[in-house]
Formats: sequence, C-alpha cells, structure tokens
Amino acid sequence: MYARFGSGEGRTEGTWELLRKAASYGKGLGWVATGALFATILATVARLAGPAYVRQGLDAVDVADRQALFQSVWWFVGALVLQYISQAISQYWVSGVGERYLADLRVRAFRHLIDLDVDFFSRSKAGVLVSRLTSDIEALTQFVKEGAINVVTSILTVIGVTIAMFLIDTSMALAVLALMPILLGVSVVFRIYADRAYEQVREHIGRVLGAIQEGISGVRVVQAYTQEHRQKLEFGRVNERYFDANIAAAKAISAYFPAVDFLRTSGLALILVVGGNRVLDGEMSFGALVAFLLYLNWFFEPIVQISNLYNLLQAALAALSKLLGILDREAAVPEAIDPVPLPEIVGKLTFDRVTFGYDPAVPILHGIDLEIQAGERIAIVGETGSGKSTLAKLAVRFYDPLGGTISLDEVDLVSIGFEDLRRGVALVPQEGFLFAGTLRDNIRYARPDAGDDEIWNVCATLGIAEWVGTLPDLLDTEVRERGSRFSSGERQLVALARALLAGPSVIVMDEATSNLDPETEGVVEAALATLLEGRTAIVIAHRLATAERADRVVVMDDGRIVEIGHHSELVGAAGPYARLSEVWQAAQTSD
Amino acid sequence: MRLLFSLLASYRREAVLSTLSALVWMVMVIIGPYLTKVVIDRAIEGERRDLLLPLVGAVLAAGVIKALGVGGRRYFAFLLSYRAETDLRNRIFEHIQRLEFNYHDEVPTGELMSRSSSDLSQVRLVYAMLPITIANVAMFVVVVAVMLSIDVTLGALVSLAVPMLLYIANTYARRVIDIATDVQQKLADNTAVIAEAIGGIRVVKSYGQEAQETEKIRMAAIGIYERSMELIKNRAIFIPLFELVAPIATAVILGIGGLRVIEGALTPGEFYQFAEYMVILNFPLRLTGWFFAEIPRASAAGGRVLDLLKTAPEIADPAHPVDLPPGPGDVRFSNVAFRYPDGPPVLDGFDLHVPGGRSVALVGATGSGKSTVAYLLARFYDVTGGTVSLDGVDVRSVRLSELRNEVAVVFEETFLFSASIRDNISFGNPDATDDQVRLAARLAQAHGFISDTVDGYESMIGERGYSLSGGQRQRIALARAVLRDPRVLILDDATSSVDAVTEDEIRNALKTVMAGRTTIIIAHRPSTLALADEVIFIDEGKVVASGTHTELLERVPRYSAVLATAEVG
Repeated sequence: MYARFGSGEGRTEGTWELLRKAASYGKGLGWVATGALFATILATVARLAGPAYVRQGLDAVDVADRQALFQSVWWFVGALVLQYISQAISQYWVSGVGERYLADLRVRAFRHLIDLDVDFFSRSKAGVLVSRLTSDIEALTQFVKEGAINVVTSILTVIGVTIAMFLIDTSMALAVLALMPILLGVSVVFRIYADRAYEQVREHIGRVLGAIQEGISGVRVVQAYTQEHRQKLEFGRVNERYFDANIAAAKAISAYFPAVDFLRTSGLALILVVGGNRVLDGEMSFGALVAFLLYLNWFFEPIVQISNLYNLLQAALAALSKLLGILDREAAVPEAIDPVPLPEIVGKLTFDRVTFGYDPAVPILHGIDLEIQAGERIAIVGETGSGKSTLAKLAVRFYDPLGGTISLDEVDLVSIGFEDLRRGVALVPQEGFLFAGTLRDNIRYARPDAGDDEIWNVCATLGIAEWVGTLPDLLDTEVRERGSRFSSGERQLVALARALLAGPSVIVMDEATSNLDPETEGVVEAALATLLEGRTAIVIAHRLATAERADRVVVMDDGRIVEIGHHSELVGAAGPYARLSEVWQAAQTSD
Repeated sequence: MRLLFSLLASYRREAVLSTLSALVWMVMVIIGPYLTKVVIDRAIEGERRDLLLPLVGAVLAAGVIKALGVGGRRYFAFLLSYRAETDLRNRIFEHIQRLEFNYHDEVPTGELMSRSSSDLSQVRLVYAMLPITIANVAMFVVVVAVMLSIDVTLGALVSLAVPMLLYIANTYARRVIDIATDVQQKLADNTAVIAEAIGGIRVVKSYGQEAQETEKIRMAAIGIYERSMELIKNRAIFIPLFELVAPIATAVILGIGGLRVIEGALTPGEFYQFAEYMVILNFPLRLTGWFFAEIPRASAAGGRVLDLLKTAPEIADPAHPVDLPPGPGDVRFSNVAFRYPDGPPVLDGFDLHVPGGRSVALVGATGSGKSTVAYLLARFYDVTGGTVSLDGVDVRSVRLSELRNEVAVVFEETFLFSASIRDNISFGNPDATDDQVRLAARLAQAHGFISDTVDGYESMIGERGYSLSGGQRQRIALARAVLRDPRVLILDDATSSVDAVTEDEIRNALKTVMAGRTTIIIAHRPSTLALADEVIFIDEGKVVASGTHTELLERVPRYSAVLATAEVG
C-alpha cells in the first residue's frame, strides 16, 4: 500500500510532473472528498433533527399523547445513531486522505530538494531548508488535521441551523440573525488583534529559543569570563518580551470570548421575549420554543470555530507558497537525457578552456586548461579565493562550467549518466561527515549492498581494522550526532574507508585543515596513501608534505593556473609556490 | 506534583483571582438555565406577560456577570501560567549558566533545550487549566445536586452521564496523548534525518546517494503516517461519541421527563433546565477528562525541570573566600590528581611550577591530560587530589569571578556570540571603552580584518551575520581574552584548526600578547611550541620532561615519537 508514497528510486521530479501528480492525486481525493462531504452533510442533518424531535415530543406531552411521545424519542435515538456513524466516517475519511497526501508530500518534497544542485545548497541556509521540509509541512498538517473537517462542519452547521430556525419561526430567526453582524464584527476585530499578537509571539519564541541555544553552547565561554549574571539579565529581558507578547494575545482572547458569551445570552433573551410572547399569543407551541432554544446553542459555536481556524488556514497557505518556492526550482545540473555509457573508466580528466563564476557576472575561473593523466596525483595550492575549491567542485560536476568543457576519459561530464559519473569521480571531504546510524552504514554509504567481508577488507587495507576491533559493538557501533562520539581523526578514517569501498577512479579531495594529534595523523596519512594508490587524485593541499608527494603541483591565483610542475622544480623557480612553501616551512621548524 | 503546587504560592494573587472568576462563571452557568426555567414556568406557562420582561432582564444580568467571569478566568489564568513559565525559564537559564563543565560534558544541548521549552509548556498548561478545572469539578457536583433535587429518578439517571463522559474523555485523552507524543518523536527524528542530509549534502552528492536518503525519509513518512492514522481512528471513534452524550441524555429526558410532565410531576421549565444542563456539562467534562490525562505527563515534565533546578553546581564560590593577593601570576600544581567522573585517572602526582611571566608549552599525546591541566587552573573542574595555586593561593579558596578574571582561556573551539564584533571582544569586560577594544584587537592582530568589514567593529557575526574564517574567529577570541588583561593566559590548541598560513598570522598575534604574561600553550606545531620559554612533556598523567623543543627532541625519544609524524606529515 505504500507504493503510492513514491519509491526511493526514480528520476528527478520537475514542477510540472509534480503538479500533474498533484492533479491526478486530486482525482482520487475528489471521489473520497465527495463521500466525506456527503457523510458530513448527513451527520449535520441528523444532529439538527434532534431538536425537531424534542419539539414533536413536547407537543405530544402538551396533549398527553404518550404514544406519540415515545415515537419521537425513538426517532430521536435513530437520528443519533445515524449521526454517530456518518460523523465517524466523515472524520476518518477526511483526515485519512489528508494524512496520505502529507506523507506523499514529505517524500516528494525531500526528493526534489535533495536532487537540486550543490550550488543551491551553498546559497541557502541549512536551517531554512530544514524548516521548509519540517515546520512548513507541519503547518499544512495542522490545517489538514484540525482545520479542514471543522471548517466544513462549521459552515454546514451554520447553514443548517439558520434554515431550521426559519422553519420554526421567521420573526424569531430574524431576531437571532440580527446579532450576526455584531458577532462577525467582533470576530473580525479580534482576528486582527490576535493575528498581530500571535505574530509577535512567534517572533519572540524564536528569540527565546535562540538565546537559550546560544547560552548553552556558549556556556564555557560565559563561565570562563564569569558573565553568568549579565547573561541572566539579558536573557531575562528577551524572555520578558516573550511574556509581554503572550499577554497581549491573552488580552485579545480574554476580551473576545466574554463578548461572544454575552452575545449568546442576548440571543437567548431575545428568543425568550419574542418567543414567549408568541407562545402566550398562542401562535407557537412551547415545544417549538424549546427546540429553538436548543438550536441557538449551535448557532454561535461554528462562527467562533471558523474565526479560530482562520489562523490555521493562513499559516497553511503561507507554508504552501514557501514550499512551492522549493518545488518550483529546477536542478541546475541535470542528468543527461541520453547519457554516453562509460563501461570502463580509466581516469583521465581534462579541463579545456574552462570558465566559471557562481554569479556569471563575476568570473572566478578564467580559461583553465589542465590535462590530468590516469593515475596521476595532482596537488592544487593557492590562497583563499584563488579558485582551487571551485575547480574541485567542477571536477565532480557539482557545477557546470559557463564556458569550455571538462571531460572524463574524453567524454564531457555533462553527457555522462549520474551513476557512471559517481563511479568515475568522487569528492571526498576529508573532514569526514558521518551520518547517524551504525559504523557499517557509514562505511558502505556509497554501496549499501556491500557485505561485512568487504567492509572488513577495506578496513584491513587501510590499516584501521584493529581500531574498529576495539569499538564496543564493532561495525554495529552507533554513530551519534554527526559522529560526536568519534575523534576528528577517527571520523576522517571512516570517510576514507567509505571512499575506498566506493572505489571511484578519480578522487577529488579537500585536505583537512585541522591538526590531528601526531599519532593519529600518522595513521590517517598512511590510510590516505593506500586509498590514492593507483587512482587519479586531485588534492587541495593545505600542507607542504602533500604538495611534495604529488606528481604535479598546480598553483592557482585569481582563477588562473600560474605555475605547474613538480615540487622540486617549482621551489627552484622562485615563483609564488616558492614563497608559499617558505611559509609552510616556517610553520614546521622551530628555532 | 506537590512541588509544582508549591510554586503556585508565588502567584497567589493570579491563582486566587482566576479561581474566583471561574467560580463566579460556574455559578452563573448553573443559574442561567434555572432563570430560563423561571421565565418558562412563571411567565410563559403561567401566562404572566407582565413578568416576561423583568425575568428576561434577570437572565441578561446573569449573562453580564457570566461574561465578566469568563474574561477574568481566562485573563488571570493566562497571567498565572505565563508568569510561572517565564519565571521558571529564567531560573532554568540562570541555573544552566552556573552548572559546571562536568555537567555540560554529560548532558546534550537538546535535552536542556527541551527542559526550557517543551517541558515548561507542559507545566504551563496545567497551571492554565487549574482554575477552570476547580470550577468545573464544583460545577459537576452542584449540577448533579440540583438535578437530584428537582427529580430524584430522572436526576440520578441523567447524572450517570457525568462519570461516563468523564471516563470516556479521560480514556480518549490518555490514548491520544501517547500517540501524539510518539508522532512528535517521529517528526523530530524525521527532522534529524533531513537536517543531516542537508548538512552532509556534499557527501550525499559525491556518492550519488540521493535515493538512499529519500528512502530514509520515506520510512520516516510511513512511520508518521501510520501513527497519525491511529490518532485519526481514535478521533473518529471518540469525537462523535462526545457529541452524542448530551443528545442521548436529552432523549432520555424527553422520554422520561415527558412522562413526568404529563403526570404533572415535572414542570415544562424544569424539563428545559434538565436538557440545558446536559448541553452545558458536555465541554467541561471533556476538558476535565483531558486535564487528568495530562497530569502524569505534566508532572513528569515538571519533575525534570525541578531536578535540573535542584542540581547544585559543584564548582561554586567558597563559603569564606580569600582575596587573591597581587602577584605576577605564579602557577603551581602540587601532587595533583584528577579523573573525570567514572573515568580512569587523567593526572596522577602531577607537579608543575610556572613562575610569573614565563610561558610554557604543554605537549602530550591525546588523552595525556594537557588540556585538563589548563582547565584545573581556571577551576572549570576541581582536582580530585593535591592543590592548584595561583600566586600562592589555592584556586578553590578564591571567588570564581576573581580567579577567572586573572586566568583567561582561549578554547580550542572558538565560540562567538551572535552579536557585534565589538560586543564579542568586550564580552568579559562590558564596560570597556572603544579604545580599549581596539587596542586588544590590535594586539590580537584582528584590527586589520575587522576594519575591512562593512560595519567594522559593529559588524554582526553569527548565524545571521558576517561569516568569519577560522583564523579570524580565533583572533577575536584572542582579543576577548587579551582585553581582560589576565595574569595567566591559556591557549588550548588555539591554532589547531587553521592552515599554516593563518597560523603564521596568529602566531604573530600571540607573540605580542604573551609578552610579560604567564602563558600556558597547548599545541603540537613546532612553530607554535617555539613561542614558549619552555616545553613541558606530559605522559601518563605526569610531567616526564621539560626543556626547549630542540633539547627534548634530542633527549626524549618518546617526545620525538609523539611529534614526529607531524614533521613528516
């Protein structure tokens, strides 16, 4: 039954596809919705029938007709059974359809997001993207769960009650309806105040949570500088503003509900006066009066409900438009429609007059020409902003060049299918990002079908099998909160094992900048050497030793390759590389 | 639970006002149908048209009082509950700020966050509901009594609805609350997966594992769907049931009450009164059933909050603090032993003397306890044996503020606040003048890049502000420490996360700030070690050797082993 959630596989779903799906989904929804609406109408009618039977019964009482009295009681009970069944069905259907739609939306929206290009992720704040897929969908959920069914029921009830009241007595019904404009006016005013107040509440709760978060993560600094007292005062101020916002909202609520309550009493008074006179005049039975009074209870409630639901509706609409903002976006790096197959990958990478800029108006790379032979190891060095990271990102097709081509084994990256591309070229962020789950899942991340034998082999090859052997649950060891349980060196080792198991022909690597403690560093270095053996490697180097070991060093400056050659040649050349290597040298020698 | 009520004492005024308003409201709720009954029996059935208007006037008057009661009840209950929540949150925050490093090492941020948000909301809800629940329970008792006094048989029969509905409402609430909590948990898990996929997007993309990540989300979505459907099933069964109770009672009243009216045992007005009471009781009964279902959860949440507040900070000012004498910053560790809770010994028989104004570098393998040494001096942890003293005084006998004012630490991981650069530098000295802040920034070699930012010292940093490089952040942290002008400066691996070029810049900054100040550097880059007068080599919790870097390289094979790989690397 879960097939309809969209399976994990499948291609990128574009906006059009999504809309089409949404529409096709709407067809099924339409049928169920019709059924649910019918059930809701039935439930409302059955409920509204209640007071009518009370009236019948009371009229029977008036003439002391026991038979007729019991008959109306049984009818009443029958209507109640019908009410229960139809209401239960309508509740279940409406909410069930909504839930299914939301479950589908969660998966689709995620799939769409994750298929977008890396560029998009670099430009967006992670927190914002996460909230699109969580709190925005939750806002829709709120409406689907509590809003939809209640809006329908409330509207039907108001209509039904109004009709019922007119059926009993026009003048009384008109008297009650006279209160309607007042109720609506009060509700609108309340809505305006409450919306404003709740907006403040939302804004301030965000600040309070932010302040707590910062207070906790910064607690060591706070204590080191003994600023606990000042922190407390500052937090107190933020917290107090949140309190004020809440009280402003509370005042609106505390004024609105008594007003509605008093309107209800006024309605009762009106009916008693008008209806009382009509009964005394003999124009209406006592039973009709009681029925009318019972209807009155159902007249005000729905309007209050709708006023409350307006909030949910607004939030849902806002969330939907934000969500569509993501769903409407197309991936900037699409997979080729008719990809060139690459059965055997040798690992030759060629940059041919490659130009690129994140913003086309601001070029970052100016005509890069570089031919990297299969199995060659290249170190890219250069200052921050020289374009070395950008070059690496282009090599794995996180971005497409604005001009020129990059090709793997003479095939343009653009025309290689994603699966072949990932087999051919992989970026290995050495910092070692770990996912929640077991160590096994992390190592076989690129090849979820890999067996334990393979994983242990990889570990043995990298020289980390012994370390894994010391872990409490071996490969089943749980990785928590992005690997916080592991040291940064251990995280790097896992990342290397992951890369080795994936086995790409070309590895693009951003060398970790953090200094490990020397013992661990030795292990990491050795593992890295094993991984890179026999593969084409492009390493963004941050230290001398890495550059020394490379077959060729590519020195970049301001988006151009300014020097290229082996370490020993370049040191002698007295160019930019020689200067850089001096700084590095200085960091390693003592006086 | 008792503790939660004891907190109420602080908000006696709001609690009393809200409960009184609720009781006034309750009385008016009960009197309303009675007045209507009087209108029906006396004016309409009694055919006294002259009484109609005055009696309806009484109905309206009761309506005014009732409305005031509703307003007061709501407003004061809000006031009470938000005041309590706000004050508790302040206390939690203050308390968290005072709990020692040991505590924060153990307890994850998320847990403390939920103490101060979702747990507090639970508590607030109970406070907010308390006044109306008191009034509601009173209402049930009075209404049942009134109905029994009107007609014992009918009253007894109809009153059965009260415990029944209360029971159903409670059962429903307990089920739904459990499932809803579970759904919340699943939603949180789902959020974690999404956040992780986005955080690790480069890994996901590098290995083309979009499908695998989607599969995780699909499983999460199915989990949420299945639990939500259970919730919906329960709703579909129970909500129509709640709406049925009052009409069923009305049907009973119609049948039996109708007979009684025919027999003349019940007036038509009393008949109406009965029917109306069932309508009135419906919602309060549901609310009360729900309230009692919430209590276990709320008291668990309240218990967690109070547990947190009761956790006494283990590192606090001494009862009889000694003033720190003026001094050059002479640091002495005598026979110090230390272990983290439940951990193996980190330091054991550790002796170290750093004369005022000297700088030493601590070197050791991971876990050798070199950072611990620094933390013990600032008293972020307390020794488990021996003493640590600053200028001849045991650090445990000095006020924390005084001690930490003289011992400034630059942590391995730089933490900056979401505030302006200026506020970050003057964090420890909020009263510092602009000139002092600039001077500190100059000393830390930070003035240059700060001046290059758009708003200079007023540039905002953090999540929503200017993003700085690791080296720049380090130098701001350094300026923050320098501004304190401490006797002792501790640099805990402060240059580890930057590349060699940046380290070069920071090293220059360090040279200036270390001059004439006792400095403890934890590092393993030879270039940084070179800044210190002396290198102390720590192994297995003890000082095993000291001297210059070159001396140690020659003399101590283990020292070279620990550092060797870095040289080769």
